[in-house]
Amino acid sequence: MLYVVLFFLMVSLLLYVILAGADFGAGIVELFSTKKNQQLTKKTIYRVMGPVWEANHIWIIILVVILWVGFPKFYNVLVVYLHIPLTLVLLGITMRGVAFVFRHYDAFKDRSQILYDWMFRISSLITPIFLGMTAGAMFSGELIITEDYENYSFVELFINPWFNGFSILVGVFFAALCTFLTSILLIGESTATNRSVYVVKSEKATVAVVFIGFILICYGFYHEVAFVTDFIKNPITLGLVVLSAILIFPLLKSIKKAKKVRTRFLAGLQVVLILVAAFVTHFPVLIMASNTQVDLLASASPDKVIQVLGISLIIGGAVILPGLFHLMKSFKMIKVFEG
Amino acid sequence: MDNLDAARLQMAFTLIFHIVFACIGMVMPFFMIVAHKKWLNTRDLVYLKLTKSWQKGVAIFFVVGAVSGTALSFELGLLWPEFMEHAGPIIGMPFSLEGAAFFVEAIALGFYLYGWDKIPEKFHWFTGIIVGVSGVASGILVVSANAWMNAPTGFDYINGEFFNIDPVKAFLNPAWFTQALHMTLAAFTATGFAVAGIHAYQIFRRRHIVLHKKAFKIAITFGAVAAILQPISGDLSAKDIAERQPVKLAAMEAHYHTQKGAPLYIGGIVNNEKQEVTHKIEIPKALSFLAFGDFDAEVKGLNDFPEDEHPNVAIVHYAFQIMVGIGTLLLLAGLLFFTSLFKKSWWKSRKFWLLFALLAPLGFVALEAGWIVTEVGRQPWIIHKIMKTKDAVTPMPGMIYSFHLYVGLYTILTIAVTWLMGRQIKSLNHPNLS
Repeated sequence: MLYVVLFFLMVSLLLYVILAGADFGAGIVELFSTKKNQQLTKKTIYRVMGPVWEANHIWIIILVVILWVGFPKFYNVLVVYLHIPLTLVLLGITMRGVAFVFRHYDAFKDRSQILYDWMFRISSLITPIFLGMTAGAMFSGELIITEDYENYSFVELFINPWFNGFSILVGVFFAALCTFLTSILLIGESTATNRSVYVVKSEKATVAVVFIGFILICYGFYHEVAFVTDFIKNPITLGLVVLSAILIFPLLKSIKKAKKVRTRFLAGLQVVLILVAAFVTHFPVLIMASNTQVDLLASASPDKVIQVLGISLIIGGAVILPGLFHLMKSFKMIKVFEG
Repeated sequence: MDNLDAARLQMAFTLIFHIVFACIGMVMPFFMIVAHKKWLNTRDLVYLKLTKSWQKGVAIFFVVGAVSGTALSFELGLLWPEFMEHAGPIIGMPFSLEGAAFFVEAIALGFYLYGWDKIPEKFHWFTGIIVGVSGVASGILVVSANAWMNAPTGFDYINGEFFNIDPVKAFLNPAWFTQALHMTLAAFTATGFAVAGIHAYQIFRRRHIVLHKKAFKIAITFGAVAAILQPISGDLSAKDIAERQPVKLAAMEAHYHTQKGAPLYIGGIVNNEKQEVTHKIEIPKALSFLAFGDFDAEVKGLNDFPEDEHPNVAIVHYAFQIMVGIGTLLLLAGLLFFTSLFKKSWWKSRKFWLLFALLAPLGFVALEAGWIVTEVGRQPWIIHKIMKTKDAVTPMPGMIYSFHLYVGLYTILTIAVTWLMGRQIKSLNHPNLS
């Protein structure tokens, strides 16, 4: 049953990153667009994302619940030491959600739209950055896990783990990934005249992802972040990353031939491969602190709890997944067959 | 202010905020589907306009409720890491089921909001029902987690460690039924009166009377029925608390001394030092009867419990008085509404509409007061008789800054949402029926 729980943990993480990621990317693409394209992007995003927008963000709640129910000690480390970046993520999520409904449900479309738009774009950019910084902090090797709070300063315990070069780069990298996902998504939704806008954006985003990823690895290697040095030594990890890189070629071909579904599938797969690569490097150790390591599996709840959790997830999944699939299909987010 | 107080205030503040949005998001879909059904049956364009306007309200409240709920799901851990480390696995079941119900609601809402003229009419209406039902279900489920904090079950507690965890038993804890019933009725009462009150005010100001009367009738029917049923549920809750958390009951009633045939105090000023209540109305033996169904039963007073296990008596007592007082008022208003159905002339009187307009915020005042009773009444425990709140708080210092951040953010949000709602109503009064 532990594997069922792990499966759902992984699925909700991946779905959150891809679906919410594409959603964060929407704001970022808007932010980096010319004025004319901004309105176009806004309309397209609303048409494509609107119906599933809420559902995209619930994956993080599922993720958090699985963590605290199934792996309480692991969750405890995150919420105690990464309190500040997580609070900033929440701030971003709140601002974004509110800005999104305000700009689409305000009864009057007037100058206040400008405020909503900016709120939406800025929070879309900072939320994934802080999320990435939180994830980066888990592997930065800067965390100090201790019972002895007196002997360390506030900065050492609660700031340094996430506010360092490595974590910040992970944050920026994640924001770039989000932009990549959205611009790919938008290619399929655009009309023939503005298609080229998003094709160019996708190319730029791809370059950004590769470039930032490269800097991230170099930085980690140079500063001897254990996660990075292990990352490049691990053959499975390397294989996955190389595979993800190779997929760029079929992706470009697919974009050229205007294959909507295949393009999205390939882009999603690339992101999944990168994430899985990061996940398996040290699995089941998912927090690498400076003084210790936290093993996800070793922090699992008693069997009985895992069993009930697993059953709840199977039941929940059986209700949710078909509904979600139907929703996406009905509003043409995904198509079963290309046509 | 120390870290614990700051964390408690932040939790209180975010919950007070979230509950309003969650309740409206939970109940308003029902108004919406009734109006929608009437549109389908009568093809009266007024109902279509009303449905679409309420749907916007649902969307706005749902999203603000969802994001503040997301924040809360994190805050539980961020503020109370010790609590979540131990309690998380035990109360995981209501949370995971709530998550699932909430997810279903979000999916159904996606269909509903974007399904106009795209999916078959009847199925579209049906997705609205799913929104309502799954919303209420998620509310009922999440209350189980709170009920467990009042009535912790499903584990053995030996030397400060939790053993033999049984999540199903914890989920079905004895406080769940009474709490969930009371909360659900409260949500319907508060939202019903609030929405009806807003429309009553528009009628009072003679704006688009046809539409607002239809809206009023739908909303107030839900609110009035719930308000009339609420005392029954309140009685069940009181009897339940008398048995399981006698110290909470004693604080609610400011009942300092154990007594047979205990009187009930209405109003009054609590003097905690002298352990007495002044300026009150006293009904002899009523407390014994309400708590145990026997006029001569013994009701334990605060003197029977160690002082460091007393909650803040004044806050709990006043909040309780506010809740019961408003509850009674809304019950009478509910009866007034049903009587008015037979006295059509009342609906022409502006006083009638002014009255309901003035009642609009009261349901939510009572609802918040009720949560203060149960939450402050549980102190100093975060898990009744197992873990104290002060032992659960985060070791990270400086919670006061986090508190200020949340207060700032949620104050802005409240103002913004109120402003947005004002604009919705303004657009509703626009004469054309597009």
